[in-house]
Amino acid sequence: MTIRWFDEATQLLTRRVARGTSRRGFLGGLGTLLVGAGATTLLPVFRGGAFAQSSTALQESGDPNSCEYWRHCAIDGFLCGCCGGSSSSCPPGTVRSDITWIGTCRNPTDGKDYVISYNDCCGKSNCGRCVCQRDQGDTPLYRPQSSNDLNWCSGSQADMPYHCSLSVVIGVKE
Amino acid sequence: MAVRRIGLLTLAVLLLAGNAQATEPRQFDYMLNCQGCHLPDGSGNPGRSVPAFPGQLGKFLGVPGGREYLVQVPGSALSGLSDEALAGVLNWMLARFDARHLPADFKPYTGVEVRQWRGAVPADVETTRNRLLQRITEQEQRSGNPDR
Repeated sequence: MTIRWFDEATQLLTRRVARGTSRRGFLGGLGTLLVGAGATTLLPVFRGGAFAQSSTALQESGDPNSCEYWRHCAIDGFLCGCCGGSSSSCPPGTVRSDITWIGTCRNPTDGKDYVISYNDCCGKSNCGRCVCQRDQGDTPLYRPQSSNDLNWCSGSQADMPYHCSLSVVIGVKE
Repeated sequence: MAVRRIGLLTLAVLLLAGNAQATEPRQFDYMLNCQGCHLPDGSGNPGRSVPAFPGQLGKFLGVPGGREYLVQVPGSALSGLSDEALAGVLNWMLARFDARHLPADFKPYTGVEVRQWRGAVPADVETTRNRLLQRITEQEQRSGNPDR
């Protein structure tokens, strides 16, 4: 008695599923899934946050590898962007000095003053490319707090030769 | 799909807006005048005579002469900051890096007292520092609680 009821229920369900679906439909779904999984990564999602620098909100213009670039307004050294790194990350094989010279530069695009950290990258000999010396706000060595003539590679935890300099945005003045 | 796209856009805009916030003015002064050597977290480089703030800075306020000393160290006294701005940065640093060791009756620094102490810096800062550290150690031994 019970078994017969079970049989009928199973049959009913199976037939309903068979009527409502098709083998081609299943293949189509599987195909969409396979292609879709690959295509998801191609969607135009903003990925600025995927990089180490937190300045994704910055409206700016200019070439970071040119000495005229606004962030380099007080730099004195070789631009890391020309040495295998970028204006905010050290080239492979070098270490970023934690001790650094910090100044401000005005961003011509939005007119705000940004705090820039000119960390040195250390561990290889002088890069020699894209030398840039702009020294805005630089003071003589007898006022060492605001002098950029110091080699931050000797003296910091990265106690080794100087290679190139970064210009990292770390703050903004209202 | 369109709804989801709009959702993503909104999220991106919100993230951007959060990033664009202006730096707190006293932190701004810290960045430009102190952070180059003392580092963003105040840990400094004790091996190269750049003292660490966390776990130490607030203790100076607990011994006689310590409050003046934080104004008179070369990094404070010789900085390009105005007296008011220096007072602000010191208050910010104490709260940010070592609030744990702030005395219960701590009164924030004012520009007036900073001006007075800044103009009378001890000739030998190193000796002053060692004497204060000695006092801090003695006080901790007396209270029997070395890391309060």
